[in-house]
Amino acid sequence: MKQKTLLFGALGMLVVLILFMVKDLFLSSPEPGNNPWKYDLETMKQADTMKPAYTMVKAIPSGLQGLVAIATGPGDRIYTTGAGGAEIYDSACRLLLRFDFEDTAYALTVDSTGNLWMSMGDHVEVWNKTGKKLQTLKSAGRGSLITSLALTGSSLLIADAGLKVVYHYDHMGNMINRIGEKDPVRKVPGFVIPGPWFDLAVSPDGSLWIANPGRHELEQYRFDGQRLLSWGKPGIGIPEFCGCCNPSHFTFLPDGSFVTSEKGIERIKVYNPRGKFSAVVALPGDFDEGTRGLDLATDSRGRILVVDPVRKQIRIFVKRSTTSNN
Amino acid sequence: MPNRREFLTTLFRAAFLTGLGVLGGAMVLRKGKPGECGFGFDCAHCGEADKCVIPHPFESRQMVWQLDPSLCTHCGQCATACVMTPSAVKCVHVYAMCGYCDLCGGYFKPGTKTLDTAAENQLCPTNAIKRKFVEEPFFEYTIDESLCIGCGKCVKGCDAFGNGSLQLQVRHDRCKNCNQCAIARICPSGAYRKVPARHPSLLRGFEQKPKNGDFTQSQENR
Ligand code: SF4
Ligand code: SF4
Ligand code: SF4
Repeated sequence: MKQKTLLFGALGMLVVLILFMVKDLFLSSPEPGNNPWKYDLETMKQADTMKPAYTMVKAIPSGLQGLVAIATGPGDRIYTTGAGGAEIYDSACRLLLRFDFEDTAYALTVDSTGNLWMSMGDHVEVWNKTGKKLQTLKSAGRGSLITSLALTGSSLLIADAGLKVVYHYDHMGNMINRIGEKDPVRKVPGFVIPGPWFDLAVSPDGSLWIANPGRHELEQYRFDGQRLLSWGKPGIGIPEFCGCCNPSHFTFLPDGSFVTSEKGIERIKVYNPRGKFSAVVALPGDFDEGTRGLDLATDSRGRILVVDPVRKQIRIFVKRSTTSNN
Repeated sequence: MPNRREFLTTLFRAAFLTGLGVLGGAMVLRKGKPGECGFGFDCAHCGEADKCVIPHPFESRQMVWQLDPSLCTHCGQCATACVMTPSAVKCVHVYAMCGYCDLCGGYFKPGTKTLDTAAENQLCPTNAIKRKFVEEPFFEYTIDESLCIGCGKCVKGCDAFGNGSLQLQVRHDRCKNCNQCAIARICPSGAYRKVPARHPSLLRGFEQKPKNGDFTQSQENR
């Protein structure tokens, strides 16, 4: 009898031991606990307390796989591109056309006839507003990644993040000159492009501005490559540009003010035409964590259109006082 | 009684078979570093080891633990849960992706005013990242693995503000290759898996032309 009790006792203990091991090995839930080395991005983002002067009035869900670029065209039509296709919306955000292509378009600009000029990585293609390819310009070369395009009456400006240079082409794709290569004689410091973020835009008064994200600056150039002006400071304060490569995108409002977007601390801001900070459009709380690639466009009414690649939306922001008109 | 000729034939066969067995066993169990044949010949490092018809050396056919940086959420447990002290997980710098930035999000504490190497400006709790001037305006960042505890703080900073070139990896010169990796068991992101010892890292690479327009980094098995 005593032996039996001992045997059952030992067996019971063994079962308890096995159960304990099973729980420890397979059932214990991950306990992230307190991370003493936490990089507190949230607190940093919440420090941006300035009230945005803009509010979002619309979020258009896009049917594209990966949203990358946005532009506005004649009649304030909205054009977006990304992985495998493009979409055209009217100014009231109704989808007019979606067409497909094989590649991913990394940059977009629209000419006065509504044709789409798109970067397909290392070269530019021109498609008309019915989704027919019209022209393929020759490749910019091995290692090229074209991330921004702008058109003027006779020029096509191309920002190449891969080769870290801006090309000045004519509309037929013939190179006129290169802009922004390091040249101590002309006092051109060269572009510092740590990642695939390299934007340019032509202001309403026709001047060429190029982002130098590694230096946290926007630089003005003449079309012949002469560097004229620059502004911008690194830092995490709202008037500054955060991280190692910002602003990632920028564009102009009709009055010549700059609209910029940043990654890291996701925020969109407006600076006056002389580069003085003037307003907040959106702060990190408006985006999902880790959102990057906030390409920007504006329309004739001063609305700011933002590509949100994480939410797969085109988000439209307007100045608070003008909300009722939109 | 077997005659002498039969005895010698049997002996020869036995010796031949034993030799074959030893050779086969050596082929299967031979040791060798990943990427090498393991026969102890002078290796020409032809880079063709993967295409070789001879089975890989025993060690490089083994599986080892590795973490996938694209899944890691920098929870800090790589530093604390490893059976090794300090952890076998270290920060690895993928130089090909690095922007060599002056204002490095992985090196400086956010809001640092002066971009110099003063200890109070550094994000790394053990000052394991070394900053060296290359040429205006570029700086190179190297990891002193003897100081790195694998906390992932710099990795998060680099991910958020930079290119994600700082990445956590299990270093196999330190890892005990535990049967059940203590970190894998509790990793909240399920970032750990077993990989062949001949391809022991799971570093993310930077694609010049990201597919699907996704400008985050693609993963590369190196
Ligand atoms: S435990 Fe997982 S999520 Fe946490 S730091 Fe390690 S790999 Fe990253
Ligand atoms: S911050 Fe952490 S992971 Fe990065 S180098 Fe320092 S100790 Fe290593
Ligand atoms: S296998 Fe063991 S030694 Fe290696 S990382 Fe995991 S817990 Fe650390």
